Amino acid sequence: MIEIDHVSQIFRTSGRQAHLALSDISLTIEDGAFVSILGPSGCGKSTLLYIVGGFVSPTEGVARVKGRAITGPGPDRGPVFQEFALFPWKTVLGNVMYGPRQQGVKAAEADAQSRRLIEMVGLKGFENFYPKELSGGMKQRVALARTLAYHPAVLLMDEPFGALDAHTRTRLQNDLLNIWERDRKTVLFVTHSVDEAVFLSDKVVVMTRAPGRIKQIVDIELPRPRRRAELLLDPRYQKYVVEIERMIDDTSEDGLRP
Amino acid sequence: MNARALTSEVLLGIIPIALAVALWQAISSFGYAPVTLLPPPGLVFSRLAQQLGTSNFQHEIASTLFRLFAGFSIAVILGVGIGLAAATNPVVNAVVRPIVRVLAPLPKVALYPALLLLLGFGHESKITLVAADALFPILLSTYYGASMVEQKLIWSAMAAGTPRRQILFKVVLPAAVPSILTGCRIGLVISCIVVFLAEMISSTDGLGHMLVTAARTFQAVDMFVPLITISLLGLILNGLLQGLRSYLLRGFPEV
Ligand SMILES: Nc1ncnc2c1ncn2[C@@H]1O[C@H](COP(=O)(O)OP(=O)(O)O)[C@@H](O)[C@H]1O
Ligand SMILES: [Mg+2]
Repeated sequence: MIEIDHVSQIFRTSGRQAHLALSDISLTIEDGAFVSILGPSGCGKSTLLYIVGGFVSPTEGVARVKGRAITGPGPDRGPVFQEFALFPWKTVLGNVMYGPRQQGVKAAEADAQSRRLIEMVGLKGFENFYPKELSGGMKQRVALARTLAYHPAVLLMDEPFGALDAHTRTRLQNDLLNIWERDRKTVLFVTHSVDEAVFLSDKVVVMTRAPGRIKQIVDIELPRPRRRAELLLDPRYQKYVVEIERMIDDTSEDGLRP
Repeated sequence: MNARALTSEVLLGIIPIALAVALWQAISSFGYAPVTLLPPPGLVFSRLAQQLGTSNFQHEIASTLFRLFAGFSIAVILGVGIGLAAATNPVVNAVVRPIVRVLAPLPKVALYPALLLLLGFGHESKITLVAADALFPILLSTYYGASMVEQKLIWSAMAAGTPRRQILFKVVLPAAVPSILTGCRIGLVISCIVVFLAEMISSTDGLGHMLVTAARTFQAVDMFVPLITISLLGLILNGLLQGLRSYLLRGFPEV
């Protein structure tokens, strides 16, 4: 379980002004839940994810994982970034093996495990390619495999498909759901696509424009396993999308008022 | 880059060199300069070929190469070490930054008389001068490369379980390699220049010394031989470094 307990984040900007990026966020995420954070750009979604990742420590409040305060990054929480952040000096296999090797897994075993993961994300045959030789979608598959390789209990995904074209994006969403439905990790998924959030999640957390607050949490009660083609025709799905889009529109208007 | 593109690039690179040699040949053939002052290239190259076989000349090359390598290696070790330390440790940075600001623009050759007095006329003074001159480009490019490492690479490694103290060698150093090698390339060219210069100023051997000796006795051909030799050495060393670079950077975009 992840508990975000009255977390606020203030950034000092270059003009020495204090910028309130997150304001008093409290949120509990159950084990095995797929939770999306949705909100306009600049509302602090990434910051919230970085706090859970332990990359940023909150100005106020505390974030806990399994009841223990988060003090830094750890292999129990694996990030996947929009920019992929693959190691350019390592091959696909080298990137995926990195985590297990850091965890002390023997080279031969890490190699075998990593090859299986690479196959699972659909990149069999690309083991010895360098990241620069792959398309964006393939890079993100490698990044996902690299993170899954050290078996984090929680996946922290920051707009992971944001830089991909629509077709690739859809395929990766499906593949992510398949993988998730198999091992039910806890996923915290940042996006600004309403469709994506509803399609993937158990819960959608809608945030307000800066300073980021939680505006509403919507439980998505759609059956799993979810098939995209069926879901798009499902009136319940459409209702969720419309409902959440309205919320975001209101949020934007909030932001325009002084 | 594919083989054909590489070949055509090499050919394009050879054209200006060939033109320069042709111009040189023209100047001496049409008598614009007396052969005693500007010997024709054919004469210089045949003299070079003949010299290459002599143990004396080989010894001069060996001395120069040794000083060049020793100085350059020291510069690489210190430059990369200090650059990385300054980029990752604020205390080191606070100490190093003002020193670099003061010393980097200083013409290091001005220190040479003092170095000669301190270290004598042998290898040490020349190696030190080469190292001092090659150090700064390597240090600065290492520093910038290591400071610019994408934060998310470091986060990804930390999340995978890399302890903070290992981040330097597992992420920062490999990520900074492209810019370190750029610094090394500049440092290598500077090393070639400086080793020659130091040998011209005071030495008992080496290519720079050969040139000065020949000049004192008006041996124009023998003056040009060490000059051509150091250029060729520079070309070869740069080629080797380029090879190392494309090997080390095979994963990095746009090499
Ligand atoms: N390291 C930082 N220093 C200063 N301001 C920051 C920093 N990180 C984020 N911010 C600011 O905090 C706000 C929220 O940023 P972010 O979490 O990236 O938003 P989102 O991911 O929702 O687009 C933005 O206004 C951004 O400029
Ligand atoms: Mg963001």
